Amino acid sequence: MSRVAMLIDESICMACRGCQVACKQWNDLPAEQTTQRGTYENPPDRSAITWQLVRFREYVQGENLQWLFLTEGCFHCGTPACVAVCPTSALKQDPDLGIVTVESDLCNGCGYCTQFCPFDIPRRDADVLTGLGKAFKCHMCQDRVTNGLIPACVKTCPAGALDFGDRNEMLAKGKDRVEYLKQAGFPNANLYGEQEMGGLGRLYVLKERPSAYGLPEDPQYPVLEPVWQNVVQPLGTLAFGAAALGVLAFWAIARRNINMEEVE
Amino acid sequence: MIGNRVRAIREADEVGAIRIRWIPKYSLMERVLHWGHTAAFLLLAVTGMVLFFPFLRPFAVGEAGEMVRVAHRGAAIAYGALPLVYVILEPRRTWMSVKSVFKISRYDVEWVKGMIPYYMFGKHEAMAPQDRFNTGEKANAVVIILGSVVFAITGLIMWFGKGFVPIGVYQVMVVLHDLAMIVTVSMFVVHLYLAVVHPLMWAGLVSMRYGVTSAAYAQEHHALWYYGPERAKEIYEAQKAEAQSDQE
Repeated sequence: MSRVAMLIDESICMACRGCQVACKQWNDLPAEQTTQRGTYENPPDRSAITWQLVRFREYVQGENLQWLFLTEGCFHCGTPACVAVCPTSALKQDPDLGIVTVESDLCNGCGYCTQFCPFDIPRRDADVLTGLGKAFKCHMCQDRVTNGLIPACVKTCPAGALDFGDRNEMLAKGKDRVEYLKQAGFPNANLYGEQEMGGLGRLYVLKERPSAYGLPEDPQYPVLEPVWQNVVQPLGTLAFGAAALGVLAFWAIARRNINMEEVE
Repeated sequence: MIGNRVRAIREADEVGAIRIRWIPKYSLMERVLHWGHTAAFLLLAVTGMVLFFPFLRPFAVGEAGEMVRVAHRGAAIAYGALPLVYVILEPRRTWMSVKSVFKISRYDVEWVKGMIPYYMFGKHEAMAPQDRFNTGEKANAVVIILGSVVFAITGLIMWFGKGFVPIGVYQVMVVLHDLAMIVTVSMFVVHLYLAVVHPLMWAGLVSMRYGVTSAAYAQEHHALWYYGPERAKEIYEAQKAEAQSDQE
């Protein structure tokens, strides 16, 4: 199987939040106790037990008001920084499907993934003081997908806003849809995720610019990741090796040359 | 070691007993600080490197890894609290030590020049006179003190700042924390060698264990401290002149 992707058409989404519920149900995630904040958006943020969340945004342009919805979840980047920084290899990228997953048994909760993700996706259930806890995020229902099913959120979407399949097919579908939207009076319509971060596994058809949805216009791979992993870490190994070898060499020379009887 | 013993024997020849005159160097609190800090440093280094070196990954994984991270935090509290407690207990001594550690004179430059022949070949003629800490010890202290400041700032941000500080800032903290680790652990390797392994450097370990040093050792290695600046300079000039005439 080749790389897969989810295509989320935000021009179709009616924000029923069925995907949110289906995600919780399939992954056996508990509900969150929340308070009424005067919005349909609930819970207030994604968390270790809420991997998928529909955002509600009121987008005002002059006289125009648009209610924009965004189904947030992991983007399954083509070049995932979280996988590169994970010290335990708990985060993995499926070599065929391109799905990025966290293996809970391996995760030690260090939280590097949460701090190197340009989309702020992985979330920990960690205690601030002890740091005990693990990172969680959407795994694109890898268990279902590898058994011939589609992700739970896609399966449940009653409006047909969510689609899933071969990434190239999804790209083609998305582009067609963007063309249609442009004709239909949404000149800013665009497809988000074709090139970003090595190509995303979560593609959005958007009516407005990505920033109107709170998405980064140009998400960048963290510059410090390769510096850290490919320069600082080998440098450390080299420095310790040099210090240890240097000390050994010094010791050998000193032992040969210093006549203890002469020393005063 | 033997050299000093020989001198001690000569001194004590008439009496017919081996006698080394011990003089106090480190207070009890200084030694507790030093060894407590060493223990915390080692625990921090070991638990930290588990996340740093790819070949140590098996120890970083899962629940065991979580325990390693908790141990790192516990050790970090000890590492940060020990110096603070020491400062409260012995503020004047702290100030004295910090001042002498950060003071650089031309003797330090000359000491560095004479360092290689001295440590590798035992050429001890006319080494520049040293204060209570010699240049190498001072360099070690400066690296550890500045490194600890970097550790504290970056560590606290990494500990409590997740979600509060921008991820760009956090990423810089991770890299700085690692760089500080590389510098301080490399320094530690050298410090360990000179303090414990090197054949000439026996007195430092004794001082750190019992708080005293031999007067003969202090005369030769810490003249500035033992004699005071003027007398130390006189002796140094005389030794240099002697070494010069020996060569000619």
